[in-house]
Amino acid sequence: MVEIFFNSILYIFLFLTLYLEVFFLITFFEERLKLDTKGTTGKLSYYPSATIIVPCWNEEKTVSKTIESLLALHYPKDKLKIFVVDDGSTDGTWEVVQKFLRNPQVKLFKKENGGKHTAVNYGIKNSTSELVGCLDADSFVDKDALHEIASAFNEDTDMMAAIPTIIIHEPKTILQKMQKTEYHTVAFFKRMLSPLDAITVTPGPFSFFRKEVFEKIGLFKKAHNTEDMELALRMQSNHMRIRNVHTAHVHTSGPDTLYKLYRQRLRWAYGGMKNTLDYRFMLFRRRYGILGMVTLPLAFFGIFIFLYNFGFVVFHIVRGVMSKAVEISTVGLSFALPNVDSFFFNTDFMSILAYVFLGLGLVIIWNGVKLAEGRFRPSIGIFYFISLYGIVAPIWLTRALINLVFSRSTSWR
Amino acid sequence: MRAKIETKKYLFAFIITALVFFGALVVSNKFSAQRIAEIKAIENNISMDILASETQFALLKDSSCKAIDHSTAFSEELSSLTAKLSYMEDNLGANNLEVISLKKYYSLLQVKDYLLVKQVKEKCGVKPITIIYFYSNAGDCEGCVREGYVLTKLRTEFPELRIYSFDYNLDLSVVKTMKSIYGVRNTLPALNIWEENYYGFKSAEDIEKIIPQLKKLRIEREKAEAAKAATSTKN
Repeated sequence: MVEIFFNSILYIFLFLTLYLEVFFLITFFEERLKLDTKGTTGKLSYYPSATIIVPCWNEEKTVSKTIESLLALHYPKDKLKIFVVDDGSTDGTWEVVQKFLRNPQVKLFKKENGGKHTAVNYGIKNSTSELVGCLDADSFVDKDALHEIASAFNEDTDMMAAIPTIIIHEPKTILQKMQKTEYHTVAFFKRMLSPLDAITVTPGPFSFFRKEVFEKIGLFKKAHNTEDMELALRMQSNHMRIRNVHTAHVHTSGPDTLYKLYRQRLRWAYGGMKNTLDYRFMLFRRRYGILGMVTLPLAFFGIFIFLYNFGFVVFHIVRGVMSKAVEISTVGLSFALPNVDSFFFNTDFMSILAYVFLGLGLVIIWNGVKLAEGRFRPSIGIFYFISLYGIVAPIWLTRALINLVFSRSTSWR
Repeated sequence: MRAKIETKKYLFAFIITALVFFGALVVSNKFSAQRIAEIKAIENNISMDILASETQFALLKDSSCKAIDHSTAFSEELSSLTAKLSYMEDNLGANNLEVISLKKYYSLLQVKDYLLVKQVKEKCGVKPITIIYFYSNAGDCEGCVREGYVLTKLRTEFPELRIYSFDYNLDLSVVKTMKSIYGVRNTLPALNIWEENYYGFKSAEDIEKIIPQLKKLRIEREKAEAAKAATSTKN
């Protein structure tokens, strides 16, 4: 009876998950003709003035490379300003950036430490450009990225913010390789959410806003260390359009150790849930479109669904391991070859559903890689993502839930 | 203007999801049906083998015991059938009607084989090594899973060993008769070896103590293997 109850909940969750995958794949087929990865060519009819803010706190090792990548952008020099805002670094960041002091495109600012969003706000207040963007000091951009974004702003005058495709830069560790595929998958979903007006975050690396966004709804606010999500939700609640420009590529460094990844994802997961709660008035409201009906509920309840499904898998793995342990303790280790009779190939309902999920997941990864890299290239990261993500993600998701229940906030570092 | 919710799209996605979901159910059921058909075919084969052996036995009633070939009946396919039935029981549940029906037929075949073996024993004086095993999977037998592992291991190691396993709770008159003939109590797992009952979990070592022939068989096999290895080294 208990098993039937838990299985019924699982079937409902699996149906919902499958429904969402199908929904996004239908969107993909609707959008497929617009998914050219080559980007715009030739000169733009108009180059809006742009300011890129680089907030930095103890980034002496990476900040130069970030600024150099911005100076190398294919964009008219008189239209592009780079604001480097040192948020009270205690290392040599301020000394390192002095080499750009004489560059007419670069302006250096130093302020007391107040958190990333205060550094970005400092830059926004000092900017007079039509477009304001931000780039974390651990990220680098493709030369055409701003060109692509400006072109998208030109084409869609109602677009208030543009977010790029983020790619993990030179992954070295297993976890970074796993994240590379994860980011490819995210690239796919971001692109699908874009025409649905359902994007919930304008991430730090190279998101651009029309200056009027800040004039109308205010600057970044302190919001559970996920200020970029809060601003996106505030924009969405004011029906301001956020679009993904998939041809604008930004490269960022992924955390290289499990602990660093855990800290980052805990902040994202906890902040995601807290911000959703702060904007709960949009949940299940038709006037907020697919954002209100699908993505926002998913950002919150998705964690419960993920953990429930994970719990089910763990339960069966533990049961299987215990059964094997009983067998070994009873009759010892058997070195016989496993039974290859096709009769024992698992084809129960749950297994067939798992094969379907795996197949759809591979379709999504395939298209995510194509979107981010231009063409599909198999990589070991896909294997790591499929085999590891389901094991490591529950660590921070569980902790985020515990923190939410006990109202424990997360920290940036 | 925010992108509107297209009811048609929601509905279309729902229909596809429902089709995939129930498609998975249909495919899964189809595979289960195929497996059940496979088990039925194996049971029919065994039934045919037993009938052949019985007929052979009747024909040669007054002849020499050497002419009776009992090895064909119910031996090679037995272990594979047991594993397959157990797999279906795990997948479809012990209360599944098809599974219960297959188990009943399987139990009947075991009893028939057991009787045949008994006849051969009486006529020819052969003493086959036989274990009758009563188990329960109703959650009231802690040692049954472990006993199952032990018997599977012994069956793999000693193909000469004939193990007949019966679900103690199976609603089948033949099983009930077997229980009453041997006076098996509801203290499971229960083993009947040479008409004596043993209750509770018995390890492979325990069983080898009860049946010393198993040890002899092992020694003989090891000798034969050593001789074979020596021959192949010479060549």
